[in-house]
Amino acid sequence: MSADPSMKVLVVDDMVTMRRIVKNILKQLGFGNVDEAENGQEALQKLKADTFGFVVSDWNMPVMTGIDMLRAIRADEKLKAIPVLMVTAEAQQSNLIEAVQAGVSNYIVKPFTAETMQEKIAKIFK
Amino acid sequence: MHNHEYKLYEELGALARFVDNAKNAISTASPQIMSSSAQLPTAASHLSDLSKITEDGTLEVMRLTEMMQDNHGQIAKDLSAVVEVLRAMDCVALAGRLGNVTSVLAQDGKYLTEIMTALSFQDLVAQRVKKLVAILDEVQGKLMELVVVFGLQGSCEAASGKGTAGHLLKQLEESKTTAMKQKVADDILAQFGFK
Repeated sequence: MSADPSMKVLVVDDMVTMRRIVKNILKQLGFGNVDEAENGQEALQKLKADTFGFVVSDWNMPVMTGIDMLRAIRADEKLKAIPVLMVTAEAQQSNLIEAVQAGVSNYIVKPFTAETMQEKIAKIFK
Repeated sequence: MHNHEYKLYEELGALARFVDNAKNAISTASPQIMSSSAQLPTAASHLSDLSKITEDGTLEVMRLTEMMQDNHGQIAKDLSAVVEVLRAMDCVALAGRLGNVTSVLAQDGKYLTEIMTALSFQDLVAQRVKKLVAILDEVQGKLMELVVVFGLQGSCEAASGKGTAGHLLKQLEESKTTAMKQKVADDILAQFGFK
């Protein structure tokens, strides 16, 4: 199974600059159907209201963090199969372990390159 | 009086003098502490401005980069069409040269994407600024606590938890749950003659 470029992608980050960067990279990779959310709570609302192919999310966000959103996704019968790619500056091993335990699909540490994101997305859909 | 009792009184006396001297020293330093503390909200504000300025600058660079990416996309499309026409007309050499231009454009496109991803520095800067502001808030709270406790020692209000000092300590305690609010800091500073 490979990533279908027509699938809708949700980018979750409280920083407008990061959302724009991730959207830009996704566009270069062929994903033109991208929606945004500023935090985990807003993301969950959008995920429940629409169909998304995968989620790219930050870790540190106000209202609801990325890891809490990930846990909520995995606990929801309808959403639990959605791949979640965490993009974060939290490079500590403990964070990575926490994310893996919560069911993260892959994990990118900032700063990153377009090639890294392409590689991670490809691995998710391999 | 026994010898060991005399020794105890002597040590208690020395301890009392030490505590009194320390309180006096802190009390004397209060104006300086107040002055330093008064500058902390300004420092936090400068840091937040820094975050906003880098965000605005980053968004402008992103806007221009995206425009260049769009232009590159359009040029590549047009060039590709021209190359096809030239090949159909058997102008192989010219088609080849234009094909090279297309490759250069594609390479430039990669550079533009790299510029976009390099701009993620702004997010990292903003996160560190947020942490610095939180540290400044905490330091300010601690300094204010020192001033409130030792600055009003003469009235013994702080110890009893009543009156002005007690009220100020309560305000400080309440402000600990979040970042210290500017208004709380200003109110406390005003009590000490800072306008």
